[in-house]
Amino acid sequence: MSESNKQAAKRSRIIDAAQKRSETDRPRRSNGGRSSGLGRIIIAVYGVLALSATVRALYQILMDFSAAPLAYLLSALAGLVYIVATLALASKKPGSWKLSWYAVWFELIGVLVVGALSYLLPALFAHPAVWSHLGSGYGYVPLVLPIIGLWWLHKHRTDTGN
Amino acid sequence: MIVDGFFIAGAILCAITVFLGILATIIRAYPDDFALVSVALLEVFLVVYGISAAIRQAGGQAISGVPWEFWGYFITALLIPALAFIWAVTDKSRWSNTVLAVSGVIVFVMLFRMEQIWDGAIAA
Repeated sequence: MSESNKQAAKRSRIIDAAQKRSETDRPRRSNGGRSSGLGRIIIAVYGVLALSATVRALYQILMDFSAAPLAYLLSALAGLVYIVATLALASKKPGSWKLSWYAVWFELIGVLVVGALSYLLPALFAHPAVWSHLGSGYGYVPLVLPIIGLWWLHKHRTDTGN
Repeated sequence: MIVDGFFIAGAILCAITVFLGILATIIRAYPDDFALVSVALLEVFLVVYGISAAIRQAGGQAISGVPWEFWGYFITALLIPALAFIWAVTDKSRWSNTVLAVSGVIVFVMLFRMEQIWDGAIAA
């Protein structure tokens, strides 16, 4: 008791007290710390973006598909890839690193290409979509998030052993 | 919107939470006790706020907005500090302090909206 207290002295007593109750000795798989700390915040933001993009795209497709079919389909695709990225980032399975790496790259390329197209060919993107205008409708989160995500994934690479 | 005592108290608590959360993110690599306590205090404030709002509304005090909207915001706001706390317990890292700070920002926005719904918003 006093031993662990000494160790925990510089840490948080509240957290350690809560931890003691939930402590289990089952071995845990690790994904190299990818899904803890800042990574967990990144995953949470991905989750929110995945949900909002997918639901909004579905709504747009169901309600008014003919208005901007290309933009809406791209939004739906973006939403699906965000879902894949969220799950892959959080996963501890081998190979999930690679999957999240590709998913996040896909988003970065998507937001850059579609963002550029929406400026060059505004007629195709007259209606709001996730990636048009570099994600300005979503506070540029779709542009910034993949860059942070790639940096984070690069820092927590786990596929080198396989 | 009328700035009443509840709003001032809540805003101060939110500001403390945000400040401690940001400070702890910088100087701690572990969830900080003061930041956690500030989030807990915020939750206590919200409970008191909710009880008082229920009494005031039951007592016939006028609410200019829609009551279910007010209570929707209230329940959501009530979840935020609890979730931030759980986050910090389950992820013992520096960045949990950031989450605690963000919870203060979110609760402030919700408190602002609740006060607006109650008093009637000035066209924003």
